[in-house]
Amino acid sequence: MQSAAGATMRPREFLAELLAIEPVMGDSAILTFTAPEGFAKAVGAGQFLDSLCRPESAHDPLLRRPYSICSVDRARNTFTILVRPYGRGSAWLINQPVGTLIDTLGPLGNRFEVQPKTNRLLLVAGGVGAAPLVLLAEEAVRRGQSVAYMMGAQNAEGLLPAHVLPEEVEYVVATDDGSAGAKGFVTDLVGEYLRWADQVFACGPEPMFRSLRRVVLANRIGNAPPVQVSLERTMACGLGACLGCVVETKHGMRTSCVQGPVYDMDEVIWS
Amino acid sequence: MSEALAAPDTTVDLAPRNPRELVLRNPVMAASGCFGYGQEYAQIIDVQRLGAFVSKGITPKPRAGNAMPRIAETPAGMLNAIGLQNPGIRGFLKKYPPIWQHWQVPAIVNISAEAVDDYAMMARLLDEAPGVAGIEVNISCPNIAAGGYCFGWDPEMSADVTRAVRAATTLPVIVKLSPGALDIIGVAQAVEEAGADAISLINTLVGMTIDTRTRRPVLANVTGGLSGPAIRPVAVRMVYQVAAAVKVPIIGIGGIASLNDALEFFLAGASAIQVGTALFVQPGILMRLIDEIEAYLAANGLNQLGELVGRAHPAHRADVTADSDVALAVAEG
Repeated sequence: MQSAAGATMRPREFLAELLAIEPVMGDSAILTFTAPEGFAKAVGAGQFLDSLCRPESAHDPLLRRPYSICSVDRARNTFTILVRPYGRGSAWLINQPVGTLIDTLGPLGNRFEVQPKTNRLLLVAGGVGAAPLVLLAEEAVRRGQSVAYMMGAQNAEGLLPAHVLPEEVEYVVATDDGSAGAKGFVTDLVGEYLRWADQVFACGPEPMFRSLRRVVLANRIGNAPPVQVSLERTMACGLGACLGCVVETKHGMRTSCVQGPVYDMDEVIWS
Repeated sequence: MSEALAAPDTTVDLAPRNPRELVLRNPVMAASGCFGYGQEYAQIIDVQRLGAFVSKGITPKPRAGNAMPRIAETPAGMLNAIGLQNPGIRGFLKKYPPIWQHWQVPAIVNISAEAVDDYAMMARLLDEAPGVAGIEVNISCPNIAAGGYCFGWDPEMSADVTRAVRAATTLPVIVKLSPGALDIIGVAQAVEEAGADAISLINTLVGMTIDTRTRRPVLANVTGGLSGPAIRPVAVRMVYQVAAAVKVPIIGIGGIASLNDALEFFLAGASAIQVGTALFVQPGILMRLIDEIEAYLAANGLNQLGELVGRAHPAHRADVTADSDVALAVAEG
């Protein structure tokens, strides 16, 4: 899984300055950071960063926290991440003031791979899984491809605001309480788009993957459209050394930090 | 320092009684299990500058490792139960030593087994492998012949493994001690007697954490090895005790994350150090430690790293001078 777009960049440790905080999705926020030279042009959708979420010289929480790159501004060379304060690291990060320097490692991981013949992309997002699909939508729109971006949440407040996505994207939403879009799960809407889509890309919580897989297996013809999923695992090194974040695939254990986080849905052994 | 002096000597001889030698340019090593096979970090640091690195643990047969989750963060530390995922000794030999033979940095291979014969078999295969500078023997494994009792908890069983490896290879042999041993000094003396060229310690401490929401252990394996700053005082204590009881060089391991941490281990009696968990937090830490140790020696008028080793022991108390106090103040600053 590696797109041909742009030059690649080897991972590096850098200080990213927090430039802006935009509250979204109720308790979450989109954080904008400065990046090393050439970063915004070199990274691709699906890649992530590993951030130190604690004061300098503290030992707690010990490990870096992985965040998918949500979007990039190529002109200003900045990037954004989507942070939901559900763990100690994210709760710390989201409360830092503008101007804070965050020790950041990246870019890490592989990318969503858009095949050359693909014209129509169906993106399926749940929770903070919305992030890498925003960058994928930006890249696809820049290439002139059609994008349907589907997102589910408990209620309207939990949805990504539409302005985060490029205008050209068809934004389709579902909520558990019907307060925005269709009432029900986002995966209920996937079936009717499967014939339209050349490729499907998904990122969200495990239950969303399970129901997405059910819908896809019940509706698709042969192996079309192919589905790529970005999977999150607890992670330590981020560089493929510790083997703490593996995903079991038909080809054996694959690290989600280097050989992932993006996998072909059909290659993953789903528990 | 007013006059220009030669750079301090940071070389370390980890196998002084072995003709095949294991001389490190500096005392900073990457610990097994935290550094893959060297290549993973080569994309982000200059691996060739290291004193040495120790590979992921290799076993007689390939292993897929444990189910997920394999890691859990704990206060100032982490638990891991990777389960020795590795390609097995034969798969390993085809893949990595041919790469390492073109590297300057000494590559040390960590081996794990559940039977004495299997340790010996792996040591024999490694003996003539190109690009292998030494063997680190992980004795924190269950001994199947002893009903799964950990080799490293028992001096006799630890000596059995060491003797078998020693007989199977002329390569420098480092034995990595388990902090689970009731008598760490007894184990250290037993492996020294059985032919170990050096001793590394400590391996992780067995720990566990429970998710109170699901009411289940966090790790799929239930228990895991605790590492990180949380275990450092235990490691410093064990290095200190073992250093007083053996003559072979000691490699200190356990929660090292800064120059001051490294100095604690040297003062306790370690000739070299290994860094593991801190690499996950600061991938550049090994490079920084190499520079900072050299700068520290120079700033304190020490010509050789060896002048620091073991200085915390009573035998050196007579040496304590105002200069030493200044040195420590600098280290803490």
